[in-house]
Amino acid sequence: MIDSLSITRTLFEDFRPLAVTIFYAIGYGAIGIFLWGTWIQIRKYRYGTAYAVTGTLISRFKQMTGTMLTHRTLVRRDHAAGGAHALIFFGFALLFLGTSTITVEYDILKPLTGMRFWYGDFYLWFSLVLDVAGFMLGGGLVFMMWRRGWLKPPKLNYARPDRSPADPDYDRSGYRIEDWAFLWSLLIIAVTGFVLEGMRLVWLQGRPEVWDYRWWSPIGSAFAVAMRDLGLGAETAGTIRSGLWWFHGLIALAFIALIPFTKVKHIFTASASLMLRDPLAAQRLPRVPDSQESVGFSYITDLNWKQLLHLDACTKCGRCHEACPANATGAPLSPRDVILSLREFANKTLASGALPDQVELDIHGKSPGQVSMETLWSCRTCMACVEICPVAVEHIPIIVQMRRKLVEAGDMDPLLTKTLQTIAKTGNSFGESKRKRGSWTKALATPIKDARKEPVDYLWFVGDYASFDPRNQKVSQTFAGLLQEANVDFGLLYDSEQNAGNDVRRVGEEGLYDLLATANIEAMKNAQFKTIVTTDPHSFNTIRNEYGDFGGTFEIEHYTTLLRDLLTSGRLEVTRPLGYRVTFHDPCHLGRFNKGYDAPRDILKMIGCELIDMKRCRDNSFCCGAGGGRIWMPDPVGVEKPAQNRIREAAFIEGLEVYVVSCPKDLTMFEDATKTTGNEGRFVVRELIELVREAVASPVVLEAPVEQLA
Amino acid sequence: MSGILVIAEHRRGELRPVSLELIAAAESLKASSGGPVTVAIVGPSPDTFVAALKVTGVDEILTLAAGSGDFDPDTQAAAVSAAIAARSPSLVLIPHSVDAFGYAAVLAAQGGYGFATDVFKIESDSGAWVATRGGYGQKVNVELDFPGKAVVLLTVRAAVYKPAEGSSNPTVTALPVPNVSAHVRPGEYVEMSQADDVDMTAAEFIMSIGRGIGEEARVPQFRELADAMGATLGCSRPIADSGWLPKSRQVGQSGKTASACKLYIAMGISGAIQHLAGMKHVSTIVAVNADPGASIFSVAKYGIVGDIMEFGEELKTHF
Amino acid sequence: MATKILVAVKQVIALDEDFEIRADGKDVDADFFLRDLNEWDDFSLEEAVKIKEAGGEVEVVVVTVGPEEADESLRKCLAKGADRAVRIWDESMEGSDSQAIARVLAAAIKHEKPDLVFAGVQSSDHSFASTGIAVAGLLGWPHAAVVNQFDFSLGATQATIRRELEGGVLQMMNIDLPAVLSIQLGINTPRYASLRTIKQAAAKPIETLGLGDLSLNAAEVGEVGSASRVRRMYIPEKGRAQMIEGSLAEQAAKLAAIIKEFKGATV
Repeated sequence: MIDSLSITRTLFEDFRPLAVTIFYAIGYGAIGIFLWGTWIQIRKYRYGTAYAVTGTLISRFKQMTGTMLTHRTLVRRDHAAGGAHALIFFGFALLFLGTSTITVEYDILKPLTGMRFWYGDFYLWFSLVLDVAGFMLGGGLVFMMWRRGWLKPPKLNYARPDRSPADPDYDRSGYRIEDWAFLWSLLIIAVTGFVLEGMRLVWLQGRPEVWDYRWWSPIGSAFAVAMRDLGLGAETAGTIRSGLWWFHGLIALAFIALIPFTKVKHIFTASASLMLRDPLAAQRLPRVPDSQESVGFSYITDLNWKQLLHLDACTKCGRCHEACPANATGAPLSPRDVILSLREFANKTLASGALPDQVELDIHGKSPGQVSMETLWSCRTCMACVEICPVAVEHIPIIVQMRRKLVEAGDMDPLLTKTLQTIAKTGNSFGESKRKRGSWTKALATPIKDARKEPVDYLWFVGDYASFDPRNQKVSQTFAGLLQEANVDFGLLYDSEQNAGNDVRRVGEEGLYDLLATANIEAMKNAQFKTIVTTDPHSFNTIRNEYGDFGGTFEIEHYTTLLRDLLTSGRLEVTRPLGYRVTFHDPCHLGRFNKGYDAPRDILKMIGCELIDMKRCRDNSFCCGAGGGRIWMPDPVGVEKPAQNRIREAAFIEGLEVYVVSCPKDLTMFEDATKTTGNEGRFVVRELIELVREAVASPVVLEAPVEQLA
Repeated sequence: MSGILVIAEHRRGELRPVSLELIAAAESLKASSGGPVTVAIVGPSPDTFVAALKVTGVDEILTLAAGSGDFDPDTQAAAVSAAIAARSPSLVLIPHSVDAFGYAAVLAAQGGYGFATDVFKIESDSGAWVATRGGYGQKVNVELDFPGKAVVLLTVRAAVYKPAEGSSNPTVTALPVPNVSAHVRPGEYVEMSQADDVDMTAAEFIMSIGRGIGEEARVPQFRELADAMGATLGCSRPIADSGWLPKSRQVGQSGKTASACKLYIAMGISGAIQHLAGMKHVSTIVAVNADPGASIFSVAKYGIVGDIMEFGEELKTHF
Repeated sequence: MATKILVAVKQVIALDEDFEIRADGKDVDADFFLRDLNEWDDFSLEEAVKIKEAGGEVEVVVVTVGPEEADESLRKCLAKGADRAVRIWDESMEGSDSQAIARVLAAAIKHEKPDLVFAGVQSSDHSFASTGIAVAGLLGWPHAAVVNQFDFSLGATQATIRRELEGGVLQMMNIDLPAVLSIQLGINTPRYASLRTIKQAAAKPIETLGLGDLSLNAAEVGEVGSASRVRRMYIPEKGRAQMIEGSLAEQAAKLAAIIKEFKGATV
C-alpha cells in the first residue's frame, strides 16, 4: 500500500536551491512585467473621458460570465471557429486554474499552515483533468492554424477597403505575424507540457507511486511508454526533463509577461468589454450635455475610457467586416478597420506618461491610425457590426461621434448639407411646406382625426417618407383604411409633426436632432393619446429609445404588432388568403435595433403567404443602404448598391412572387433596385400593409393585386 | 421732363441685341411720354454703332465718346448722367444686364430718381410711369409707381420686347463726357472653362436636366438618353455649379443662350427666371417635371407631369 | 491695424404653398412668409470669412436692416464665422425699397468705417440686384457687380476681381480699394452652420442701431425715402403648356413622336 501522500508531483525535484531561486526571480520578473504592462494599458484608458457605468457590477459580471461560459456570441455565424475557441478557452482556463491550485498549496497554504491537498485521489483527478485540458487547448489551436493556413476565410484577410495596396498600412501584415506567434507559442507550451510529463514518467519509472498511476495522465504516459519502448533510459529522460523544464517554464513565463502587450490581452479586455456592454449602444446615441463646449470626437482623448478599452478588445475576428453592407458593396469602410486604426492610434499616442501635442491626437485624416471622412460617411449605422461583435465592441457611437465633428466642420456631401438645411427650414427632408404634411389624407373618404384637437387611442406618427413620397403616400392611405375598417381610434399630429430625427442624429447633426426631437415631444405632449403607432421603423427607434433622454417617454409600437393584434382579435378578417411565395426583408431599425422579427412573419402566415427567408435574415438582415443618412448622399456610380446586392440575394429564391418590406425607405430603395437589377417582372416589392389590404379586402376595394402587376 | 432715353449696350465691339428691344419698348411708350426717344451710346468710338441704332422709333442718337471700349462703371455712370442732364427725359431705360448691375443703382442713388430693376412691363397711368416686375422669387407680379419723381430709371428684362426693326433717320449728336477717374480697370475676357467642346448656342435640339435629377449618379443615364435621341445635353445652373456637367453646357442667363434651338426638352427643371432667359424663346419647349405647379410649364408648349427617371427610361425605349 | 470687412446681408422671404395676397392688395399675407438668410449672402459672408481665416488681423461684421426676426439670420452668420453682427431698425424703415435700404447701409458704413464691403448680387425674394451698388453710389466708393473671384492681400490698395457676364463669359478687372463688391453664387463653397453652432451663436450679442445712431431722419427711409412705391401685388396668370396625359408609356410615345417629327423636319 502506497501512502497516498506520496502520490503527487514533487515540485522542483532534483533542483539545486539556487536554480529554484533563479526560477522564482524570473517568475516574479515576469509578473512584474505583466503588471507594468497592465498599468500602461490602464494609464492609456485613463486618458479617455469619463464614462459612468450604469447598473450593478454584479449583474454585469453575471451577464459577462454567462456569455463567456456559453460562448453564445462566439459560435454565432461561425460554429467551427466558435467551437475551437471554446476548446482553447476552456483548456487554457483549466490549465491556468490547475497552475493556480498548485501555487495555492505550495506557495501559500503549505508554508503558512503546513496543510496539503494536492496528493492522492485529488492529485490523480487533477492530472487527468489537466491532460484533457491540454489536449483541448492543443486541438483548438491546431484547428485555428488549419483555418488560418488552409481554409483562409475572407474575413481573416486584413487587406483594407479604405487603403490602397501602396499604403504602408494596407494589409496590416504585422497582425498576421502576431496571430501566428500567438498560436505557435501556446501550442509549444502545450506540447512541451506533455513531453515534459512523459519525460518525468520515464525518468521516475522506478517509483511505483509515479509509474503505477501513470495512466491518470493519459497523453503524457502514452508518450512516455512510447519513448521507453524506443529505448529511452531513465537517466537520459531526466536530463531532457531538466532542460525542457526550463524551456517550457520560460516560454510560459514570457507568455504571461507579454499578455498586456499582445493580442493575448483580449483575455482581459474582451471580458471587460463584455461586462461593460451597452445593450442600446446603437439604438440610443449619446446625448451631448448642454454645458459641453465642443461636440463629437476630434482627438483620441475624446473617446471615453470604455471606448478606448473596446478598441483593445477587438480580436480581428472579422464578423463585423463580413456583416457590413458598406464593405460588402465596396465602400471604403470596414468596421474592424475603424476599431484597429483607432487602437493603433491610441497605442502610439497614449503609451507614455505625458500626452503629445494636441495636433498629434487628431484622429481625422488619412495618415496611419486616422479615420478618413470617406470611411465615416460610408456607414449606414445599420448596427450589423455592433450586433454581431462577439466581444461587445460598439462601433456606431464612435463613428457617429466622429461624424458629429465632420458635420461641425461642414465636411460632408453637398447634397447632405442641403438636406440638413432643408430639414432645419421645413421640418422635413423633402423641402415641402409644413402645411402639406397631412395632404395625403385628402384622398381618404373618411378624414383622420386631428390628435391635437381631440383625444385618440393611437397617435399615428407618420414620418417624412410616408407623408411626402408619392409611392409611400399610397401605403399610408391603405394603412389608414385598414385602421378605419378595424374601428381603431387614431389621429395624426398633422403639421405639428416633424422629421423624427433618427437619421439626422445618425448623420451627426446633434443640434438639429435636438431641435426636431424637442418639437415633436412638445407636440406629442399637447396631444391626448394612449400609444403611438408608426409605419416607419426609423421614427419608431428614435421615439422608443431616444426621446426619453429629451423628456419624452411614450409607449410606441410599430404597425406590425398592431396589425397582428387586429388580425388575431378578428377586428380584421382574412377573407382571401393570398398563397403567394414571399420573402421578408427585416428592416434594420425594426429587426436588429428593436428585435421586431416575429410580428411581420406572423402576419404573413395569417394572410396565407408562404415565407421563404433569405439566408441573411432576422439579426443578419442586410441593410438596404438608406440608413445613417445615406439616403441623402449619392452612391458612387457603377458600383453595386446594398439594395441591389440584397435584391440579387432574393432573386435566388425559386418562384418568388413578392419581396415584402415593412419600412417606407425600404419600399423606395428596393423598388428602385428591382428595376436596376433587371428583376422587374420577376417579382414585385410590396409593403406588408398592401398584402394585408389584399387579404382582408372585399373585391370592391381591391385595387391592384400583386399577381396582376407581377 | 419729357421723352425717353434708352441706353444702348455693347460688348467686345458688338451692339448687344437687348438695346434694340429697349428701343422698341420706348417706341411703344413714346406717346405717353410726350417727348422724343433718344438713344445714348457710350464708348471710345460710339459712332461705329450709330448705323445699327437707326431703327424705327429713334428720334435722336447721342454719342458719348469716353472710356476704353470695355465697360467700367465710373465712366458709364458719368456719361449716362451727362445724357440725362442734357435731355431731361422722364423715363430712362437701361438693359437689365450685368453691366447695368454695376452702375444703374449708382445713378438712381446719386440722382434721386425713381428706380426699379428687372422690369418687364411699363405703362403710363395718367401721366405717371407704372412699372411691373416680379417679386418673391417671381411668384407674384408687383406694380410700382414713382410718386414725386421727375425722372424714372428702369432696367428692363431682356427678351420681353421684340427688337426694333425698320429704319429711321434720327439726328446724331455728340455729347461731351466729363472726365472721371475710373476706379475699375477692365481686363481680359475669359471664356468659362470648356471641359468639352459642345456649342450650346448652335444646337438645334437640346435636352436639359435640372435639380430634379437629384443626384450625380443619374447624369450618365440622361447623357445616354440624349445621345440616343440625337439631342445635345444641357443643364440648369445648379447642375453646372455642382460640377455634374461642365459650365459650357449650362443654359441660362449666366450660361449659354440656346440661340439656334428649335426643340428644347427640360427634364426636372423648375424654370427659374435665370434659366428661362436662355431658352424661353425656343419654339417647341417640352417640360417634364414632377411638380405640376413648376413655372417651366408656363413657357412650355407641351407639359408632362411625372417622375423624370421613369419617364426618361420609358422614352429611351423609343430610340 | 485690423482690416474690417463689412458684409451686408438680408433675411429674405420665401412664400409658403398656396399663399394669398393681403387684403389691401399690396403684399402677400405675412402668414405665408418663410424667412431665411439670402442665398447670395451665404457666399459673400463665406468670402469674407475665408479672408479672415487666411491669416492676419481681420474683423468680419455683418449688417442687416430689418426687424427683430432678422436676428435669426444674423445668428447664422455669427455661427459661420462673423465676428460681430449689427441689426439696424426703426419702425419708420418699414416699406423701404433697395434704395432706402442702401441709404441706411451707407450710414452704417460711415459709422463702422470698414475697409471692404461685400453684398450679395441680389436677394432671392425681390431680386433688385442693386442695394450693394447703390451703397457704393451714396458713398462714392469704387464698386463692381457680379464678382465671382476675388484676389486680394491684406493692406493692398487694389484687388483683382472677375465678373461673371452673360453668355458664359467672364471678365477680369482691377479695382481700387476700399470698394463695394456684389458677390455672385459659386465664388466659393459656403460652409454649413450646424444647429449647435447657431445655438451657441445666440450667446453672442447682436448690436442694434436705430435712426438716431446713424444720424438719419425718418424722411430718408421707409416708403417716403424709397425710389418706388408698391401700387399693387398680384398673382400672375401663367401661360399653360398643353399637358400630355395618359400612362407613362403613352406620354413617352407621344413625346417620341414629337421628337421624331422634329427630326424628320430637320433632316
